[in-house]
Amino acid sequence: MKRIVVIAAVLVFSAGAVVAQQDQVTQTQVVMKGNGKNAGALAAMVKGEKPYDQSTVDAALAQFEDTVKKFPTLFPESTKGLKPEGDYSASPKIWEDKVGFEEHIASFAKAVTDAKGKIKDLDTLKAELPVIGKQCGGCHETYRVKKG
Amino acid sequence: MLRRIFLLAVVAGIFGLSVFWWLTIPATVAASALPAYQPNLANGLITFNAGGCSSCHAVPKQDDRMKLGGGLAIPSPFGTFYAPNISPDPNDGIGRWSEADFVTAVMKGTSPSGTHYFPAFPYTSYQHAGINDVRDLFAYLKTLPPVAGKVRDHDLPFPFNIRRNVGIWKWLFMDGKPFVADAGRSAQWNRGAYLVNSFGHCAECHSPRNLLGGIIGAQRFAGGPNPEGESWVPNITPKGLSDWSAKDIAYFLESGQTPDGDSAGGSMVRVIRNTSQLSGEDRDAIADYIKSLPPVEGPPKPPKKADKD
Repeated sequence: MKRIVVIAAVLVFSAGAVVAQQDQVTQTQVVMKGNGKNAGALAAMVKGEKPYDQSTVDAALAQFEDTVKKFPTLFPESTKGLKPEGDYSASPKIWEDKVGFEEHIASFAKAVTDAKGKIKDLDTLKAELPVIGKQCGGCHETYRVKKG
Repeated sequence: MLRRIFLLAVVAGIFGLSVFWWLTIPATVAASALPAYQPNLANGLITFNAGGCSSCHAVPKQDDRMKLGGGLAIPSPFGTFYAPNISPDPNDGIGRWSEADFVTAVMKGTSPSGTHYFPAFPYTSYQHAGINDVRDLFAYLKTLPPVAGKVRDHDLPFPFNIRRNVGIWKWLFMDGKPFVADAGRSAQWNRGAYLVNSFGHCAECHSPRNLLGGIIGAQRFAGGPNPEGESWVPNITPKGLSDWSAKDIAYFLESGQTPDGDSAGGSMVRVIRNTSQLSGEDRDAIADYIKSLPPVEGPPKPPKKADKD
């Protein structure tokens, strides 16, 4: 009897752990999609689809900064191999090449900090957005996988 | 009787071999076919960027696009290719090549020693380039820094490692037709059509391929499984890009950003590093042409795997 209880407890616990990991993957995806949405709002201004708006810029940069802070917790080793709904998933290279991945985070952090003091109008946005965009692409090139 | 059958088999064999030999003779461009010409280095740089040479030939894991020492591994269903050194190094690169060697390599897919290149080198697209653009490109490449170091051989199993067989492949999949402008379309559209189908070689990744690795013509630009292995290459006909404006496509080629703010990933990042260097006019031309493609349904995607494998 005792044994059954222990086994059941272990099973419930580990199932809970898997669910928690899957939640983490979904949360990570939400953060990333938030970044995309903000980057898209900035791009709309650069393309001339929307007028320049400082509050949109500030909100986007605040979200990017928040992401920088969260990055170290977004990809725990336990989520390796788990995939969210949608087109993309994290590449196992995140954990296989930790040093390289962390370099990308640091470089993204620097780009965001630099941009914060600089973006004041459409021209400065046009100059700075590609710098940030390069960070997104530079990391996605290696560490994100499109699902087949 | 037996002797006769044997003789017949030998004769048939010899005949078969000669047909094979004849069909697979590597095509070349003779130096005498190239009239005197003063190359334009500025245009050479444009073709270099449009051709995406550095996407494969730049030394991997460093930021200098002009260091063309090669070495990038290109996986495929037929084995792994290693991009060669095309820097002007005299021993390991193309430093000793003549202009005719270069034109032959790019437009015919034949090496200076007279063997077929494997079609991982997208000469099926480059064959549509204007010859003067290719000559400008050669002159431009010569101005880049030489990089020492020979790249390792391709890693291909038999029978894919027999270069002579590529002659049959070329006979099947290489039309040899030059690019012809469509007089009914604008100059911008024609420039886009030229860039996309020759140097840009967009169709090489954005089209499904048959069992022999040839592009399935009816589904050109309709995307498909990534030949490099994992993931899927998007459909870039209006079927796949229905919600993209021409401006969105041009901006994507400049910044790597999609209309919804996402960024390009995978090998497209290397492509953007090149297209971002093109002029705005050239990017608009490419966008104009891409928007005009007929909408084509690509191969069906495998069912989406939820959560995990």
